[in-house]
Amino acid sequence: MVKQLSVFVENEVGSLAKVTRVLRENNISIRAIASFDSPEFGILRLMVDKTGEAKRVLTENGFIVKLTDVVAIELVDKPGELDRVMWILADARLEINYIYSFVLRGQSEPLMLMNLDRMEEAEKVLMENGVMVTEKLTQE
Amino acid sequence: MIWAKEETCTRAEMEEIQLARLKEQVTWAYEKVAPYRSKMEEARLRPEHIKSLADLKNLPFTVKKDFRDHYPYGLFAVPVDDMVRIHASSGTTGKPTVVGYTKEDMANWTETVTRVAALGGATSHDIAQICFGYGMFTGALGLHYGLENLGAAVAPTSSGNTEKQLMYMKDFGTTLLVATPSYALHMGEVARKMGLDPQKDLKVKIGLFGGEGMTEPMRQEMYKLWGDDFKATQNYGMSELNGPGLSGECLELCGMHIHEDHFIPEVINPETGEVLPAGEKGELVITCLTKKGLPMIRYRTRDITRLFYEPCKCGRTTCRMENLSGRSDDMLIIRGVNVFPTQIEEVLLRIPEIGPHYEIIVERINHLDTMSIKVELVDESQLESYGQLNDLAKKVRGNLKSVLGLDADIKLVAPGTLKRFEGKAKRVTDLRKELGLNC
Repeated sequence: MVKQLSVFVENEVGSLAKVTRVLRENNISIRAIASFDSPEFGILRLMVDKTGEAKRVLTENGFIVKLTDVVAIELVDKPGELDRVMWILADARLEINYIYSFVLRGQSEPLMLMNLDRMEEAEKVLMENGVMVTEKLTQE
Repeated sequence: MIWAKEETCTRAEMEEIQLARLKEQVTWAYEKVAPYRSKMEEARLRPEHIKSLADLKNLPFTVKKDFRDHYPYGLFAVPVDDMVRIHASSGTTGKPTVVGYTKEDMANWTETVTRVAALGGATSHDIAQICFGYGMFTGALGLHYGLENLGAAVAPTSSGNTEKQLMYMKDFGTTLLVATPSYALHMGEVARKMGLDPQKDLKVKIGLFGGEGMTEPMRQEMYKLWGDDFKATQNYGMSELNGPGLSGECLELCGMHIHEDHFIPEVINPETGEVLPAGEKGELVITCLTKKGLPMIRYRTRDITRLFYEPCKCGRTTCRMENLSGRSDDMLIIRGVNVFPTQIEEVLLRIPEIGPHYEIIVERINHLDTMSIKVELVDESQLESYGQLNDLAKKVRGNLKSVLGLDADIKLVAPGTLKRFEGKAKRVTDLRKELGLNC
């Protein structure tokens, strides 16, 4: 499992910009980002290059930040790859809470990040089925 | 119809009744209620110092805090065994305001509410539907007894389930409605949605409104929904002063007639406590002249109004109070329920996941008051999922509901985003229309 940042943001103009400004000013690079539409408030999920530092500077700037676990998997870039992974999890009756993908370009293979209720079990079953599960994505 | 002869007596006759009752009442309170005696002793006053009505202004005030300090029965002048009814209303913090009535008090209360009903045009021929919530709130049972005493047929339908209320209204041939004005408007709209034309399919011609102020725009709305010939009056009271029955509008709509043989009104400067002349705006202070179980001397209502003593076109000579134009404290009336921001604050402070700052917004949407409260999220462990955040909002809402008896929308906001105040905080924004004046 890897650590992502969960940042509380309000559903209003400029709320994401306030987060990205703090990261820019501290020279922190975003590797992946996800936010979903919700009526009043949002949880912005981020994978950055310097996770611990990002949490510290965001907290100093008044944000509510939590480090949470996600499972990171490397996929082969060809049609049907994600489908294969989804079926592994479905067959194991493992429920995905949310999933988003990595934006890092230089990397050869796509990366997916997902959060589940039973993450260790998910990692185990994925590895057993030959899916590449990554443990270290960011420098600490 | 004017119910009681005291409503048309001369000023001299009224003052004679008032002085005799005031002397008796002050003596009674002094002898029977320790907190009154000690307040008077502190002011170096004895009952025999009350020689004229002008001496009333020397007596100490009674305030809502006295109820809390002497909770539950400390202000009672008789053993609880002699009470035949107990009511309570929400207090500023924690403890409710408890009031008790002797048999004699019940008769006087009923008498004054009967007058209020008659003021609003009710007669013994009316079929009255009471849509106030029955329970510890004095409104429902107060109007219930008064209307029964008048001879009307009373249907205690209580609050809620608007469709069913309207079914009763149609099938019973209800002619008189008792409700908060906003609920009456809501009912009219629901009726239309159900395909009923309130003016043709229903027989309601009289509305006796209370529990919250009725603004002039609301009254105009009332005519639009219920018909131009609808008699929409409001009345005023509070549980500390029996409940409804203190005053009510007559059909001239020129202020609310105060039943002066039972209540002496004064208007004071809320800052200094000084009594203001008739016609000047200030806080209403009421002395009850006939309450035996729970005497009330110079009770500060915190409501802002003016008093007029000119006889009314309706034939009554009793003093009239202008429709309320605000409060000298921060109490909110939401759907007829009294809410103090401090009550909300207490609930919020007990929830560690949110911060101590808050912002309350009160609006009127589709004629119903809605309250939304913004609170700051301070606990990062809630960020695991949306479900968790929603559960937190639900918990805040549930805790507030159990204390206030009211639903509020909870909005979680980021920490540090709500306004901070130095000095007096302004945490409440009331977007409902300002109260209009009648005359």
